[in-house]
Formats: sequence, structure tokens, C-alpha cells
Amino acid sequence: MSTVDGVRRREVSTGRGPVTVFEMGEGPVLGCLHGMAGFVEGSALLHDLATTHRVIAPCLPGFGHTPPDPTLRTVHDWVVALSEIADATGIVGAPWLASSTSAMLALELAVVRPEAFSSLVAVAPTGLWDPADPGVDLYAVPSRDQAALLVNDLDLLGAFAADPEGLDGDELIELGVGRYVCRRTAASLVWPLPDHGLADRLRRVTAPVTLVWGADDVVVPPGYAGRFADLLPAGVVLSPIAGAAHLAELDAPGAVSDIVRTCTGN
Amino acid sequence: MKVLWFHLMPYPDLPDDFNTEHRSVWVDIDPGLFDPEVGHRAYHEYLDELEHADRCGFDGICVNEHHANAYGLMPSPNLMASVLARSTDDAAIVVMGDSLALYNPPIRVAEEIAMLDCLSGGRVIAGFPVGTPMDTCFAYGMNPLTLRERYHEAHDLIVRAWTSDEPFAFDGTYTRLRYVNPWPRPVQVPHPPIWIPGGGSVETWEWCADMDYVYSYLSYFGYKAGKGTMDGFWRRMADLGHEPNPFQAGFIQFVGVADSEVEARRIYRAPAEYFFNRCLHLYPGFADPPGYRSEATVRAGVEGMIKQAADRAADRSPGPAGRSRAGFHSTLTFDEMVEKGYVVIGSPTSVAEQLTEVAISLNVGNLMLLLQFGNMDRDLTMFNTELFADKVMPEIHGLFEDQWEHRWWPDPLPTVDRRRTGRPPGVR
Repeated sequence: MSTVDGVRRREVSTGRGPVTVFEMGEGPVLGCLHGMAGFVEGSALLHDLATTHRVIAPCLPGFGHTPPDPTLRTVHDWVVALSEIADATGIVGAPWLASSTSAMLALELAVVRPEAFSSLVAVAPTGLWDPADPGVDLYAVPSRDQAALLVNDLDLLGAFAADPEGLDGDELIELGVGRYVCRRTAASLVWPLPDHGLADRLRRVTAPVTLVWGADDVVVPPGYAGRFADLLPAGVVLSPIAGAAHLAELDAPGAVSDIVRTCTGN
Repeated sequence: MKVLWFHLMPYPDLPDDFNTEHRSVWVDIDPGLFDPEVGHRAYHEYLDELEHADRCGFDGICVNEHHANAYGLMPSPNLMASVLARSTDDAAIVVMGDSLALYNPPIRVAEEIAMLDCLSGGRVIAGFPVGTPMDTCFAYGMNPLTLRERYHEAHDLIVRAWTSDEPFAFDGTYTRLRYVNPWPRPVQVPHPPIWIPGGGSVETWEWCADMDYVYSYLSYFGYKAGKGTMDGFWRRMADLGHEPNPFQAGFIQFVGVADSEVEARRIYRAPAEYFFNRCLHLYPGFADPPGYRSEATVRAGVEGMIKQAADRAADRSPGPAGRSRAGFHSTLTFDEMVEKGYVVIGSPTSVAEQLTEVAISLNVGNLMLLLQFGNMDRDLTMFNTELFADKVMPEIHGLFEDQWEHRWWPDPLPTVDRRRTGRPPGVR
């Protein structure tokens, strides 16, 4: 395990390859699953939550620090993988915060494993489809414009949006390839439509789910919060967060961490 | 040298304001622009042109597959090939090709190519493209992450279906069949030649080398732009220990022949401008879905036809696509198309010299020529085809023939044993 600025990094084995996990803080465990841009180093949200929680944030396969897993082809494959990762990282039964595609996977896992989390703060989960309110087809937008649809403040995406200064040629190539792999993995979870049948299964998610949305989300429009709530036995919709886009946990870390603390009672 | 006549079957009546009023020729093109009566006429004229190419002595006639695309009206190349299998005599029928991942189950391709091979008496070449992202990922909804794995699995199933001596079970990742036993079987043994249309991916080069398939670089941007890709292909072939047999490579080239260069510039300007400045009006967001390019190709930074098209379209885009349609404009002039080598035009002597240079500089033994392009009408297409066949083809046909063996060409039934529409065997 290595520690930088209070962030502990370790590798865990899940039987399908190593998974990189970032941890910070002490206290009750909080599982955090990143959104479409992967784990963003220096996330203000996670550092804030670490003042009251032991934050455990695994990088899912193909998202940045964990290599892609070519056996992950279907949502079923992903649910099994997430179940293994949750076991290996020790977040089963804890409250979770999950964003976007990971929030969809968390809900899918809870369909078959209701004890996976004790509660979930779901930031703009993918997984439903309303042809009358489809949102932007993110991966049919020229790649140079995609990041700007995820957040209002591109600086918050760090290396996902722009090359850091001081890197040499090989490092820049690796960074560019890594970004591509991350986008590729996220796209595979919503292709060609984000609907994988979750609507028929959400009734089995018995843990409380708090639905959080950025008011400026054009990828999964805020209207989807009500659709999720209608299908979840214990879903609660909060007012959209002003000034935040799809990855609201990056645009509005303070607001999201306040919601998490309220939900976890910490 | 094999000289092949390639038809894209473009829709000929896109409006003059297409580029300013519509964002893309592909995927989400306005269905209201398609007039079925125009389609009726176009299909018949285009088949006439392919049949005429056979009569003029072209070695092969080529069809291909596109979806939701106004410059390529063949969602099913096999349908077009089936017409040609009955109506032509000698030319190889090159299906260039079936996008394997789009066929479910893929044995449909094994069956239909075998049907075509039987119908044509063993004249079929089976092209197996991965398919463009516009066709596969957007128009047909294939997940770009798994597209290539699906493609390779489909290829393995098809080849095994053609060559297995008995029914077998296939337990793939994407296709599971208890009984694989396609009837009919192809005339050619072990199966029709397989050609791989590609856009410059490193893996495709290596795969063609490993499988001993023909690599066909289907760039619309001519031999000058294509040289880098073909050089890369031959370098990789050499690295892998393969000989530089030019018959293992194909290349597509737009060509217009006339009695003089002045005349050629006059008569081919409009159809070329229609194709390059209207038919390639592609919304860049459809060109590069994440996962379509392999990690190795991303790393190598290789640019093929699609990437070039995306870049060209991006150059024209006013900004984030979809936010505004204003500002799309074409800046490519016909003179630039000629100067860049997108279109080879001139007198027969000049065209023969230029194509000789194309073949030798790219080391390509299968020239796939677009002698109809854009909105070129039937009369001009026939003129171009006949003049090329009479005056150009004899000058280039002999290239490479005494130096290399073409091991990737069909092996048909003897002419005396072949049948055609309503005629006894061997009667023409």
C-alpha cells in the first residue's frame, strides 16, 4: 500500500485480476464508485467525505487505474465483477455513493444481492430509457466535446480532460490511451442505449436509494429521477443541484457530501 | 494486374443545399430525401453498369455493404451479387463485403456466399470487412467494445462451416449453435478467396498476414494519401516474413478517362464534386465511437479512411456538432481533388501512366476502380467504362503478371460447364 496526501492506494485481487483501490479517512466505511470519467485524483468530494468516513473507492476494470477486463461484455458479467470487487474491498453492507454507469451497476447488483449496500446515494444513474427524453447521445458527440458534457467545470476532470504539464512523450501516449480505454469502457455500458432491462428489476432493490441529479445534466436528464423513484421500493428524489452537470459529485462536491452525510447519519 | 470495376451505388439526387441543411450523409440522414422512383431507376442503371463492365472485360465487379447511407445504397451486397451472378459471364463477383458481425447467426453469410458461388459457377470473392463505425455501431447498434471479437468469431464459424466435412456444434461467445451444416456448399474448394477491406488498422494487417488473405485498403482519398498506409502494410508484412506479392493487396481509386485531359476535367468535375463535397458530408461524431479503434491502433496513431473522413468533416464543422448547422461549407475544388490524387483523370495514355504509378508505388495487384462516382449518369459511366477498357486496361493488365502468382483469385468451373439465364451450359 502507498500513501500520498492521505490517500492510500492498494491493489486487491478478485480472482479476475488486480483492482486498484483508493482509501482515505477513518470511521465508518463508505463505498464510493466513480462515474464515466473514472476515479479523479484529488477529488474534493472524497477528501471531504474522508473527514467523517473511511472512504473506499475501487476503480472498476477499464477505468483508469485498473486494467480493462476483456471478459466483461454484458451487464451480467459486470454485476458478477462488481460483486467480487465489493467483497474484496470490504464495502458490502456499507452505505455507498455511486455515480452514472456505476450507479446503474450498483442497482443491478442490489437486484440479485439486496444486502450489497445498506443505502445508496445514486448520482444520475444510467439504466433507463425514455424515447421522449433521451438526453444527448454522448458518444455520438465528437470526442473533443464529450468531456464538456460531463461537467460544467472541465478543470474538475483533471487528466481525463487535459494533459497535465511536465509529462514526456511516452507518458502522454499512455495517458491518451488510458483516456480512450476509459471512454471505451463507459461507452460499452450505455451502448447502443443505456437500457439493459433494469426497469423490470428495480422492484427488487430494497435498500433506500437517494436520487441526486445535477440540474444541468444533459446526458441523463433530471427527469429520470422520478422514473427511478417510481420503480424503486424505497427511492427518494432530491431537488436537482444547481450548477452541476452529469457528474454532479465533481461539479458540486459540497452539496453531494452533505447529502451523503445526511443519508448515512454521519 | 487485376482490374476491377467497383460500384458504391450512390444516391444521385441529394439536393444542392444538402451540406447546409443536413448534418450527415450517413446514419441520421433525412429519410424524406429518398425518392423510391429515383431508387428504382438508380438500381437498374447501376446493375446495367456492372453488367457492362463484365462485357467490357473487367476482371471483377465489386459491390459492398452500407447502412443508412446516401452514397452507398447496398444494405445487402449479396442481393446485388445474386443478380450479377445470373446476368454476367466471366467477371469475378467481388462482395466487398459482408460485415460479419451484423449477421445473426453469421452462418447466414456462409450460406449466401455459397449460394452465390453456386449461382455464378465459382466466381465469387468473399470480402469480410469489420464495417465502418457508422454502419456497425450506429446504424446497427453494435457495441464498439465487442465488435471485433464478434467479427473474428463470425469469421471462424463461417470458414469452419465451409470446410467441415460433417455437421458440428459451435460454442462461441456470441453464437451458439447445436447444428452447423450449411447447404449449399461453395463451388470453390476449400472456399471462395477471402479479401479483407480495411482502413489501416495494424491488427488487420497482421491478421491478413497470418491468414494469407488479401488486404484491400478502401480509401476514398487516392493513392497519394494511401501510400503511407500501404507502405505500413508492406513493412508489417516484411517484418512478419511474408513476401511482397502485389496480388495480396487491393486499392480503390476514382478514375475518369476522356479523349484529353481538358475534356476529362470538363466532364468529370460535377460528379467528383458531388461525391467528395456532398456524399462525404459526414457528421464527425459518428466516425470514432470509443472502442471501435483497437488499443493498438490508438497507440500507433494510424489513420485510415474513417479517421480521414472525420478529420475532413471536423475541419468543416463550425464547432460542437449538432448545435448548429450553419457554417458547413465545402472548400475542396475539383482541381484540388485531382492534384491530391483523389481522382485520376486524363487521356487514356495519361491515366494508364498514372495507374501504373499507383500500382507500382503502392505495390498493389488488384486495382478496384470507381468509374462511376457521385451523380455520374449512365451514359457518361458507360463511356468511361468503355474507353478505359479499350485504351487503358491493355496498358496495365500485364503488370506483375510474369513476376508473381495470384493465389487469391477465384477458381471457377470451366466455362463450358457454366450456366446462365435460360441458356444451356457454355452458351453465351
